Amino acid sequence: MSGPPVIARAALAWSAVALLAAVLLPWYGLEEGLGSGGWIAGLWSTEEAGSGLAQVMAHGRWWLTPVLAALVLCFLVSIAPMTPGRRGTALVLASGAGLVLFAAQAFGVGLRGWNGAWLTALFGELDGRQFGIGAGGTLVLIALLSLLSIGLALRGAFGGDAFVAGAMTAVTASILLFTAWPILHILAQAFQDQDGALKPLLMVERLAESKIWSLRCLAGGGACGVAWNTLFLALCCGIGSTALGLSFALIVTRTSFRFKRMLRVLTVLPIITPPFVIGLALILVFGRSGLVNQLLDWGLGVPPTRWIYGFPGVLLAQLFAFTPVAFLVLIGVVEGVSPTLEEASQTLRADRWATFTTVSLPLMVPGLANAFLVGFIESIADFGNPIVLGGSFGVLSTEIYFAVVGAQLDYGRAAALALLLLAMALGAFFLQRRLVGGRSYATISGKGDAGLPTPLPAAARRIAKWVALPWAAFTLLLYGFTFVGGLVKVWGRDYTPTFAHYVKAFAIERTPDGVIWSGAAWNSFWTTVKLAAIAAPLTAALGLLAAWLLVRQRFAGRGALEFVTMLSFAVPGTVIGVAYVFAFNVPPLEITGSALIIVLCFVFRNMAVGLRAGMAAMSQIDRSLDEASATLRGRAPQTLFYVVLPLLRPAVVGALVYGFVRAVTTVSAVVFLVTAEYDLATTYIILRVINGDYGLAIAYSCALIVLMLAAILLIQFLVGDRRLGRRALQTQGGRA
Amino acid sequence: MSVQFTDVVKRYGTTTAVSGVSFTVETGTLVTLLGPSGCGKTTTLRMIAGLELPSAGRIEIAGRDVTHLSATQRDVSMVFQSYALFPHMSVLENVAYGLRRSSVGREEATQRAREGLATVGLTGFDARQPSELSGGQQQRVAVARALVLKPSVLLFDEPLSNLDARLRRQMREEIRELQRRLGLTVVYVTHDQQEAMAVSDRIIVMNAGRIEQQGSPRELYEKPATPFLARFMGESNPARGTVRRIDAARVRVRLGDTGIEVADSAAPDGEATVAVRPEAIAVETAPGPAGALAGTIAKASYLGTHMEYSIDTAAGTLFATCPRVERPLPPGTAVALVLAPRGVIVVRD
Repeated sequence: MSGPPVIARAALAWSAVALLAAVLLPWYGLEEGLGSGGWIAGLWSTEEAGSGLAQVMAHGRWWLTPVLAALVLCFLVSIAPMTPGRRGTALVLASGAGLVLFAAQAFGVGLRGWNGAWLTALFGELDGRQFGIGAGGTLVLIALLSLLSIGLALRGAFGGDAFVAGAMTAVTASILLFTAWPILHILAQAFQDQDGALKPLLMVERLAESKIWSLRCLAGGGACGVAWNTLFLALCCGIGSTALGLSFALIVTRTSFRFKRMLRVLTVLPIITPPFVIGLALILVFGRSGLVNQLLDWGLGVPPTRWIYGFPGVLLAQLFAFTPVAFLVLIGVVEGVSPTLEEASQTLRADRWATFTTVSLPLMVPGLANAFLVGFIESIADFGNPIVLGGSFGVLSTEIYFAVVGAQLDYGRAAALALLLLAMALGAFFLQRRLVGGRSYATISGKGDAGLPTPLPAAARRIAKWVALPWAAFTLLLYGFTFVGGLVKVWGRDYTPTFAHYVKAFAIERTPDGVIWSGAAWNSFWTTVKLAAIAAPLTAALGLLAAWLLVRQRFAGRGALEFVTMLSFAVPGTVIGVAYVFAFNVPPLEITGSALIIVLCFVFRNMAVGLRAGMAAMSQIDRSLDEASATLRGRAPQTLFYVVLPLLRPAVVGALVYGFVRAVTTVSAVVFLVTAEYDLATTYIILRVINGDYGLAIAYSCALIVLMLAAILLIQFLVGDRRLGRRALQTQGGRA
Repeated sequence: MSVQFTDVVKRYGTTTAVSGVSFTVETGTLVTLLGPSGCGKTTTLRMIAGLELPSAGRIEIAGRDVTHLSATQRDVSMVFQSYALFPHMSVLENVAYGLRRSSVGREEATQRAREGLATVGLTGFDARQPSELSGGQQQRVAVARALVLKPSVLLFDEPLSNLDARLRRQMREEIRELQRRLGLTVVYVTHDQQEAMAVSDRIIVMNAGRIEQQGSPRELYEKPATPFLARFMGESNPARGTVRRIDAARVRVRLGDTGIEVADSAAPDGEATVAVRPEAIAVETAPGPAGALAGTIAKASYLGTHMEYSIDTAAGTLFATCPRVERPLPPGTAVALVLAPRGVIVVRD
């Protein structure tokens, strides 16, 4: 049992850790890392490797003194005899003060003395400077956060459970640091001119441009503003991907369609493809020198058209890219609809069609709204497809990109456009919450559910099949061409079969000295695999933990937390990438150029999908199961581990797969973060594409697809299926 | 005593679900919280479990102040209305769950879970999934799962509401038998007064967040303190009558043109609400004995074991049950009603 005595002991342990870290570890980051052990000798004497205590005593960094004093105070509070409630209050005060002081010195002291003139006026000129935080400082920060949550738990917050309090603090702190802070940092740029002076009117000016809001395309002449383009595209993409995703989910879960398994794999294919590959494939088929145009020209003498470049092409590519995400979200939702309710409806004189439209569909509404929101936000955040296929059709994300990398080099304009983009995402978010927010349909109850899933009504089945199957066929076609594209010399000109592209990328040579990975792609390939494999479990864990907190725990600021996690998802990768570079290339968190910043970017950019999937699945699990576990001595972490997680397996698989795949396929966010040492597959491929080396790019993309397919199968195998003990769906075609 | 509530209040925002409730549950007894839906009985039970924490007041379990402890930290377990069996675990895993979480070793947990299943008569069902069991069996698994922890207090939240009538009787007898045999302390929530009377040592009747009356089933049935209780505990005919005190222990109650002596030590003289139990009305063919209440049969139903009559009288329409089924009286028959003193209750307004 985790009574107050156990928690109090944890407080003592964390205070001791904090003190030891302040005395025995280098406070600031080391160039060569901790591995070499060379820092031990310089722990007291050198400025670089000095511990927190040494920095204060020997190197004149007096601004660390209050932080260390707060640590001592925490320790004293932990050993002093007190009632749990009073100890909790004292711990909250001491650790809270420590955190505030920590942040104050971290952000107050900059690269060259004080950050800000008023600080200089207050304290006088400062001699020292800030370095990036290292092992000692990080550990002290973690310990202070732990002590804060222990204090809160002792005061009875979060049901007196230290695990819940700790999870809460960890999720909140990390999201504030790695999502809210970089975004606020870059948005502040929207109100500044090139020299960093504050000019609020400039922001209005930047947003009022006709290039953003023009409606000329409706009147017949010229192009519409990028804001309208973005909005219209996102609405189409959200509705389309939800409808397609639902069709796939229904066919896979509710019909006896023979090739379901294949359909499942097929719908997953576009997810595991780097975004520009779909664009590339569409060009191979529909582009000016693509197959369709060549055939039409040759057969009917129709001159080549450019319809694919612009709105239709971008929408098509986005539907290919985001339908599978909707499918992943919706498959859990459709499976979660209680068969008993459908059976009840059928006994109430409702035929299959009425049952489907009046019971099953309304029960899925929260899930459908979630899928739409995902499609909508993915679309406005998408960068790869508009850049490849957009042509003159501009959207906000490409506009931002050109503002950053183009000749304009106008960070302020980029930030102002990002603000607009954010407003759209948040608008959709609020609308969704307003319409379906408070509803939950608990359909996995604690009672064994003995109903049989009702087969789809004939009409719905026909519609689903007529929508999904041609889509599937088309997908197959596109991938076929992509695959072939990697095996010919030059698409459109020279169709001689060749393996040359693969050999160039993935050659392995056997020499007397051993095996040499001489292919051009190996370096970026292994970096990608390593970083994605590190990021995926972290992404899933953080997303599902946040989902659990949001659905199952009652606390003040719940809405605010959900809101901030959605932020990272809504902000386009381009902006996130630039924001990360800006926020993390200066102390206190100096991690630009490291692998860490790439992993962090992956995790905090992709956790929102795990969060949404987890929330959708969790709100379908009856709360009485959690309560039963609690009355059976299951503490919060045990309930989470033994009861909630096993019932969440589809969501776990979804979050892991998505975390890995997005890490491998993302372009826009990491294009600013990669270095020669840590190059990623996608940025490498983009570079090949820019150099006109399509063959190698396609060959490498195919290899990535195979890699991700293998990873998905591995994850599915390791996590397994959810056993609900419902009776199996009986269909005429034999076993379901 | 095992459970003690002192002035416990539970508020949700501006609404008050439970307003100032105090009661005790003695060790080894089965106490029922009874009341209509929305009366606060389930909230009270969840506060015993620790699933809700009170807004004010004090809760003790087995002599320990647990007011601010969470469910995990209390020595209590609960059988849920929906059973809340974990759908992804087998029967044995469900029953062993609480033991495993209390750091009992796997071997011993399995052993004790088997014993628990044997206690509820489910030997050999170890490997089944909950969905493969009937409602009654699921119920027993839920009971076994709660029992094996040997809690100081076992809680039941409307455990029989998902079962059919025959099974409900059987299960309530089993629960009562189990409670007596193992000497368990049980708090039981139901809205069914028959069920409450059948299983309880003591009943606490709640209404609108307050305790209306508490006592043994017999006390509540024979001496309901309020009109609400007279209506809620069994059938009764509300009638207006006049009360006149004879001596310290008896009053004379006039209903229409009949008068009857009733044991009562509290009711003041004057007009009062009088509850008449249907089984205390003997239906005779008119003219009947002297002093009987005259009436006319309005409706008659044959129920196999007895007849049910609605009878129009000067004191209002009375509902009566009559064990004589061999000679039913058709509607329109003039009758004379003789009231048994035990079934006539003067109710405080």
